[in-house]
Amino acid sequence: MAPGSQRRTELLRGVLDLCLLAVMDEGPAYGYEMTKRLRDRGLAMVGEGSIYPLLGRLERDGLVETYRAASNGGPPRKYYRPSSTGRLALALGVSEWRAARDAVDAVLAPVKVEVAS
Amino acid sequence: MSDFVELCRQEWKRLGVPDPLAEEMAADLASDLGEAEADGVSAEELLGSSAFDPRSFAASWAAERGIVPVPAGRGSAGRRPIVLVAFTAVAAIALIVAALLLLTGQPTVSVVASRTSRPTPPHVPSPPSALLGPPGSSRIVLHTSASTPVEWILLLLAVVALGFAAWLWSSLGRSRPPTAPA
Repeated sequence: MAPGSQRRTELLRGVLDLCLLAVMDEGPAYGYEMTKRLRDRGLAMVGEGSIYPLLGRLERDGLVETYRAASNGGPPRKYYRPSSTGRLALALGVSEWRAARDAVDAVLAPVKVEVAS
Repeated sequence: MSDFVELCRQEWKRLGVPDPLAEEMAADLASDLGEAEADGVSAEELLGSSAFDPRSFAASWAAERGIVPVPAGRGSAGRRPIVLVAFTAVAAIALIVAALLLLTGQPTVSVVASRTSRPTPPHVPSPPSALLGPPGSSRIVLHTSASTPVEWILLLLAVVALGFAAWLWSSLGRSRPPTAPA
C-alpha cells in the first residue's frame, strides 16, 4: 500500500464509526448502501477497512438498531439506524473530531505545500 | 463472490457461530456483494483488503458482533497469558532458588586439616554444631543450616505453584478458540 493511502486508511479507521453513524442518521441503510453513501462523499473503502465488523461492534454496543426489510423488490436486507445512545455518541464524536481537526489544522496551517506536476 | 461467502460460512461454522446468525450474515454479505457487482464495484472496494482473506474477515465480523470470543491477543484475553507467563516464571525462579539453597545449605562435613589449639579466641564464636576434637588434633566441623525448613517450604510452594501454572496452561489451551489464519 502506498504511504499516502496507508495514512488515509489509518485516519479513516479512527472515525469510520462516526461516519457510519452519520450516514445512517440520514436515513436507515443496509451495508452496501452505507458504502455507497460514503463513496459519494469521497470515502472509498479501499484499504484495510471493512464496514461489516464495525457495524457488528456498533450493534453489540447498542449504538444502532436493526430491522429487516425488502430493498426495492430485492431480498430482505438488514437495515441500520442510530439508537438514541448512538446519536449521543455521534454528537460527542463529532465534537471530538472537530476539536482534533482544528488543533491539527493549527499545526499544519503554516506549512506551504507545493505539488510538482 | 459466492466463493467468498461460502468460505465465510465455513469459518463461522468452524468458530461455532449459531446457524441462524451465520445464515443472516451470509445472506447480507451475498446480497451486498451481488449488488456491488451489478454496480461494477469490486469486492475490494466494498471489503477493503478483507476481500483477499475471507476467514479473517468472517472471524473478525463474528467477534465484533460478540458472537464468538475476541481472538487471543486482544483485550483481557490477550493479557491473560502474559500474567500466566509471569506467574510461571516467578514459580520457576522460586523453584531454582529453593533448590540452590538446599544444595548449598545441606549439612556438610568438612575437615579442617590444620591443627588447632584450644581455647578458641573469644572474638571468634565457636559454632554450636562444631565437633571439636581434643586440643592439637584434627578438627572435624559439621556445618548445618538453620534455614533448611524454610528452603523446603519454598521448594514445596514453588512445586505447587508450577503445578497450578501447568494446570492453567492446559485449561487455557482447551478453552482458547482456534484463531483465524492471517
